[in-house]
Amino acid sequence: MIIPFMTLVEKEISRFMKVIVQTVFSPILSSFLYLLIFGVSLGSSIQMKNGEVYLAFLIPGLVVMGLINNAFQNTSSSIITSKFSGDIEDIRVAPINHNQIVWAMGIAGVFRGALVGFITGIVGEIFFYFQNGTLLAVEHPLMMLFFTLAGGFIFSFCGIFVAFIAKTFDQLSAFASFILLPLTYLGGVFISIDNLSPFFQKLSHANPLFYLINGFRYSILGHSDVQVPLALGMTLISLVVTFSMARFALKNGSYSRW
Amino acid sequence: MDVLIIKDLKKTYQSKDSLVKTEALKGVSLEIRAGEIFGLLGPNGAGKTTLINTITTLEKPTEGEVMVFGKSVVHDPMFTKKKIGVVHQEVINTGFFSIEEILKFQSGYYGIKNNLERINYLLEKLSLTPHRQKKVKQLSGGMKRRLMIAKALVHSPKLLLLDEPTAGVDVELRESLWKFVLELKASGVSILLTTHYLEEAEKLCDRVSIINKGNLIYTGKPREVIEKYSTKKIYLKTSSGQTHTLVDSAAKSIQDILKEHHISFSDIVDIQIEEGRLEEAFTKMVNL
Repeated sequence: MIIPFMTLVEKEISRFMKVIVQTVFSPILSSFLYLLIFGVSLGSSIQMKNGEVYLAFLIPGLVVMGLINNAFQNTSSSIITSKFSGDIEDIRVAPINHNQIVWAMGIAGVFRGALVGFITGIVGEIFFYFQNGTLLAVEHPLMMLFFTLAGGFIFSFCGIFVAFIAKTFDQLSAFASFILLPLTYLGGVFISIDNLSPFFQKLSHANPLFYLINGFRYSILGHSDVQVPLALGMTLISLVVTFSMARFALKNGSYSRW
Repeated sequence: MDVLIIKDLKKTYQSKDSLVKTEALKGVSLEIRAGEIFGLLGPNGAGKTTLINTITTLEKPTEGEVMVFGKSVVHDPMFTKKKIGVVHQEVINTGFFSIEEILKFQSGYYGIKNNLERINYLLEKLSLTPHRQKKVKQLSGGMKRRLMIAKALVHSPKLLLLDEPTAGVDVELRESLWKFVLELKASGVSILLTTHYLEEAEKLCDRVSIINKGNLIYTGKPREVIEKYSTKKIYLKTSSGQTHTLVDSAAKSIQDILKEHHISFSDIVDIQIEEGRLEEAFTKMVNL
């Protein structure tokens, strides 16, 4: 039972490690640019309501963004490339059940997401140190761990769902650009929802990412736009929903070759 | 013991957007005995791949039963998956890994951790040892096919399903694959092979079934099929200088044929016999 599972985890991790420039370095470069331009340059003229520096607000947001984007990318691109090359059949024929597949791919997705998020955090800390002479402390490390794992799994599962359901490459990129991207930006990576118009403030409360991003921000800063229990609850619900979606997609999705 | 038992297997595809039903298998029954090579012959679209996919649990039967080593494929798919090896018809590419890595991962999927000995054996047998560090895209078509066979054998399955293993393979490689298949058989592996190269079936198979439009038309030894459904051609030159061409059922002895045509052995100066072939029997049956 455990060997097939671990093999799949190992395969999924070594897959993205083989193309590490594209899968880890490139997202870190974009986080670096965000930190430099928004955090340091523009950030100096942004007033936060409690007198906090904008960079401190931005770092947790970018860490979560790196985490979820890369978790999603890892599972979805692994499945899509397998659909192109046909080796998705190997997993179907092998004695591995759907739960094992979902969790193994999920772990690899979390691993890549957390790696990108972690390095983004370190780069952020360096910027923060140069700006403020101190490091940004993590207020609630265990909660940070929870939101990292939950966020990583949620988006790994999403990636599995979309990649199996998608019948064309277009459908996959449509999900990434028309659903994932707006939800991330409106969920509060760069801004506090106080800065949004009342309509968008209300709408944000229906965005599951809003709870994840702000829950994670709370774990570092000790305050954020949401109530912590609500953020925990909504994140757990998202986890259960996306896990079920991934299971559904494995059962009913298309394995056919593109 | 029968390694594989298929009883009255039916598979109907219902397309989602129309009411059209396609009956890919219309009640197929067969059994494969331990240590035999069983050939499934049929034209394109006859239902061969559907049958293979039902055995490998990729497709669920609409009706009927498939038992692998005594256990139902539907009720215990994990058991079946562990026991069988499959070589699919389409060549699989894997972009990221070398041959050796692919085989290591494949072993891991079957719960085998340190399988280097078996992997080395298979690479050697399939002449892939010099290419073990190459990626799939660097391999020729024939090497890719051999890699697929190696992948199907990492866990030493006792039942091997070969879906057109020699499609698009050159003559030399085909012969070496046949040799390897016979070696596998000698080591106790039962093999189900689909093909439309009839020469392949004639050389390798202990028994064959001919499948057409979802029905098995005939099951028996290749020799029996030939005798029953093909013809024997005899070209004769007699002492009087006459030449005769006699065509009769492949099952009949030359003696009987000559007797029927009132030709005695002592009159024959020259004789040429063209034995019936599976090809002919096959064409005749499929067109019935």
